[in-house]
Amino acid sequence: MAAPSVAVLIASTTLPLVYLVWQSLRSTNLAMPGMDHFVGAENYLRLWHDGRFWDAFGFTIIYTGSTVGLQLVLGLALALLILQIPRAQWAFRTVAILPIVLSPVVVGLFWRTLLLTPDFGIVDFASRALGLGSHNWLGDPLLARISVTAIHTWQWTPFVFLYLLAALSTLPADLYEAARIDRANAWRRFTNITLPLIRPAIVMVVILRMTVALSAFAAIYAATGGGPGTATEIINLLAYRVSFAELSLGYGAAVAVVLLVVTMVVAALLFRLRRAL
Amino acid sequence: MVVAAMLLSIWVVPILWAIITSLKNEKEVLAYPPTVIFTPTLHNFHEVLFGPTNIVSYLTSSIVLATSTTVLTVLLAVPAAYSFARLKLPAKKPMSFYVLATQLVPPIGLIIPYYLILNRVGWLDSYKGLVLIYLTFSLPFAIWLLVSYFEDIPREMEEAALIDRASRLQAFWHVVLPQARGAIGVTVIFVFLNAWNEFLFAVVLGGSNVSPVTVAMYNYINTEQTQWAQLAAAALIAMLPVIALGIAAQRHIVSGLSAGSVKGVTRR
Amino acid sequence: MKKNSRATGPTRRRVLQQAAAFGSAIAGAPWIARYVHAQSFDLGAYQSAKINWRIAEGQSINVAVIPASYFDNLIAVTPEFEALTGIKVRYDKVPPGQIRQKVVLDLSSKTGNISTHAGDPMYLPLYAANKWTEVLEPYLNDPQLTDKGWFRYEDIFEAWRKADMIDGKTYAIPYNGEMTIQTYRKDLYDAKGLKAAETFDEIVSNAKAIHNPAERLWGFCLRGMPGAGQNMYIYPSISGAFGAKWFDAAGKIKVNSPEALAALEWYVTTNNTYAPQAAQNWNWPDIADAFAQGTIGCYIDGHSAVTVIANPERSKVMGKIGFARWPKGPGGKRVSSIWNWAMPINAAMPEKARHATWLFIQWAACEETQARTSYKFKGPGKRFDLNRLSMWKLPDYLETMKNAGSNFVKASLDSLDLDTDVDWRPRVPQWPAIGETMGKIIQSALVGQVKPKQALDDAQQQVERIMSGA
Repeated sequence: MAAPSVAVLIASTTLPLVYLVWQSLRSTNLAMPGMDHFVGAENYLRLWHDGRFWDAFGFTIIYTGSTVGLQLVLGLALALLILQIPRAQWAFRTVAILPIVLSPVVVGLFWRTLLLTPDFGIVDFASRALGLGSHNWLGDPLLARISVTAIHTWQWTPFVFLYLLAALSTLPADLYEAARIDRANAWRRFTNITLPLIRPAIVMVVILRMTVALSAFAAIYAATGGGPGTATEIINLLAYRVSFAELSLGYGAAVAVVLLVVTMVVAALLFRLRRAL
Repeated sequence: MVVAAMLLSIWVVPILWAIITSLKNEKEVLAYPPTVIFTPTLHNFHEVLFGPTNIVSYLTSSIVLATSTTVLTVLLAVPAAYSFARLKLPAKKPMSFYVLATQLVPPIGLIIPYYLILNRVGWLDSYKGLVLIYLTFSLPFAIWLLVSYFEDIPREMEEAALIDRASRLQAFWHVVLPQARGAIGVTVIFVFLNAWNEFLFAVVLGGSNVSPVTVAMYNYINTEQTQWAQLAAAALIAMLPVIALGIAAQRHIVSGLSAGSVKGVTRR
Repeated sequence: MKKNSRATGPTRRRVLQQAAAFGSAIAGAPWIARYVHAQSFDLGAYQSAKINWRIAEGQSINVAVIPASYFDNLIAVTPEFEALTGIKVRYDKVPPGQIRQKVVLDLSSKTGNISTHAGDPMYLPLYAANKWTEVLEPYLNDPQLTDKGWFRYEDIFEAWRKADMIDGKTYAIPYNGEMTIQTYRKDLYDAKGLKAAETFDEIVSNAKAIHNPAERLWGFCLRGMPGAGQNMYIYPSISGAFGAKWFDAAGKIKVNSPEALAALEWYVTTNNTYAPQAAQNWNWPDIADAFAQGTIGCYIDGHSAVTVIANPERSKVMGKIGFARWPKGPGGKRVSSIWNWAMPINAAMPEKARHATWLFIQWAACEETQARTSYKFKGPGKRFDLNRLSMWKLPDYLETMKNAGSNFVKASLDSLDLDTDVDWRPRVPQWPAIGETMGKIIQSALVGQVKPKQALDDAQQQVERIMSGA
């Protein structure tokens, strides 16, 4: 039953992969097509020495780590809170769906112009009203990095919230009764009972969110285009800019391959973690 | 309760702002300080749905694309995932990891080969071509999601059915599938959403025939100006089909999400 | 189970597709019907041309354009073309951020899908070097395809025609274009007795006089968004005015000459002092929006912004706008941009298709169609960016432009006539990469990530690498 679809699947995903790796071993510049030639590992060597690549690499790690971490903490906190108010849950669940289904491109654009533009956006307006002053949220490199992380976290935390809320709702209440009888306080109850029980759910949602964060493209592109300068370039965006904007396909392919390897390693580690539980 | 409400507002406010923006005149949109009291107008929605650059044809394009992708994905993924879960294939673990890993390939690397391949078979700018490409990333994802749920369904129930002289197919259809309803619901939502919001592949591999709503947004961000109010209206309308699907499948999703993750633990 | 569901699957999809087609037919019909029923087409003006418009009857062409009102108008009148020639036209609206890449992909893989497109003239050297698009002289000179007396190619703005020529050969025909001009708040200037700036120093002094951020008025603003078509659309004008040359004596590209440095320093300092912080990330629609809200005193950018700032539905500064040319640099030179959307012919198509495409281009660029998408257009949003000099002087056109602002037509025409220079940006095939690279670096300088001198030296290094073919 499975064989044909799996076969087609493997063929359709492996072939482009092979092409990608082959492409990364050549120097291909669309501006000068006659000059395509095999360069072996030269693109990778250039990558190794390219400061812009390492900046992107570093930022990708920080970005992915912080957004997934934040999503987890916020989502879990929200889920625990809302768990206590069963009657209002439907309202929260409905609202939570909305950011998730918005097109990331639109999210990036809206945040950029309507919310974050200094002197014009409502976030800026709010921060002034709160006495925090106005800042160049997307124009200052550090603030821009924080902003894009915030945008991604804003869009996807509801997902974590929904997922964990569902997981938490299925925990049997008698376990807690027993703990209360033993006079364990809320924190102990949380760490000793809740956390271990939903750990698989947490790992699952972390895997899902991490793969999305690593391949995030549309929202950052719409919000900053990778700027200012190259401050908010994650590897995926770097690959795009190099391949399409600078027409340097070989180098872009090399960047893409590196991203793939990194993603696979991270995913493999997380998988191990899940199986071990 | 208060804390929850405050946290909730972080998500509600921007969405509310988008809704408010879609009801404003263009002049009002960028007013500063931002106005909350104004005379609302439905003009933007009217323009977006019936005006000269309306998004209706784009919406139908998106619906066809996303629905076809979802239907085909489910049809192909469910049997494949079931086999993975049940049959004792020797290379199971690495295979399922490979299935997931292949969909982690950055889209940038794939655009050009896909473009060339589709062009070779003449499927550029056609639904069958684009659905095929969408399948390459929705199918692995769906299979990966479903496998873990199928693994969690105890074999005893099927075996009972088999002993009652049901064929494997009947056992699957009548016993296993109802239990996997939740998982399938989750898969449907994810696949639909991914297909619905896809932009890069759609813009490069599509064209005048296949033009989903993600590309249409840019009609409002044209070279001379950005029509914020209309963009907001268009974005809100574009959200509706997915929300509708989400609400319809919500029951299944909640049971599906919890079943796979927690049940596996409590069994131990 | 397998057989059943496989049977319902495709059928369901087919039904959906039919429903979708039906639905879109219903949705699109009223508006188109309204147009079609408005008149049976008056094609007399076209048929007076001494060519056989139906020479490529039955062909089908694909035109890629960006979403823009000036193309929407063309799309709206396309049924006339189809009736005239029997050629079917399909449009593919691609966002400006993706259209160049999509076209390059089609051209470089010779898939021949996009017959013609809204082309960026800075990409023409790339097209020409690779022979991806046709040289157009044979088409222009072929009496079977072009009635030269009727088409009057020389009537199209010379600057744009030149910009679309490489090595003396034409590669694309301008459909529309723009120039960059100084735009300022005439009311504010008059109140303080100021005049439009004639020199860069005057820009600064004017800005200083009206700069009042506490009251949400910024003195002067230029765009900062990175990109070949974004901040690299403005910076070359500044560096050109300061006397910088793109090529050094040996014919190699040099971007870090002392003049270029002076220009970048002016750009950075002025934008940091008088422009809102947000401008470092702004593109022209953002500036136009801000000006329309009354928060900018003066800016220099494309004249097409009149769609926003002179639009009563969007602008709070109607009737308060003045226009002027770029100021003079230290050497007395003014440099405006040359921008036009130009239509080339994809060389990877069969002959009949190329003829059909040429007929389309000729139709789009001819005077009658330019008029029908502008002052003769029946919808809102009449085009003003016509491609022919003679049309800018027609009373009908001037009537349409009356409300734009003081001195609009003269400033625009003078800029186009006197201040443009075809080599205002280096016309080399590697331009896309160079433009992108420099755009990023300039923005880094604007936000203070790097000092202008360092920025230009870095840029020089990267440009050298690009030119050497890495």
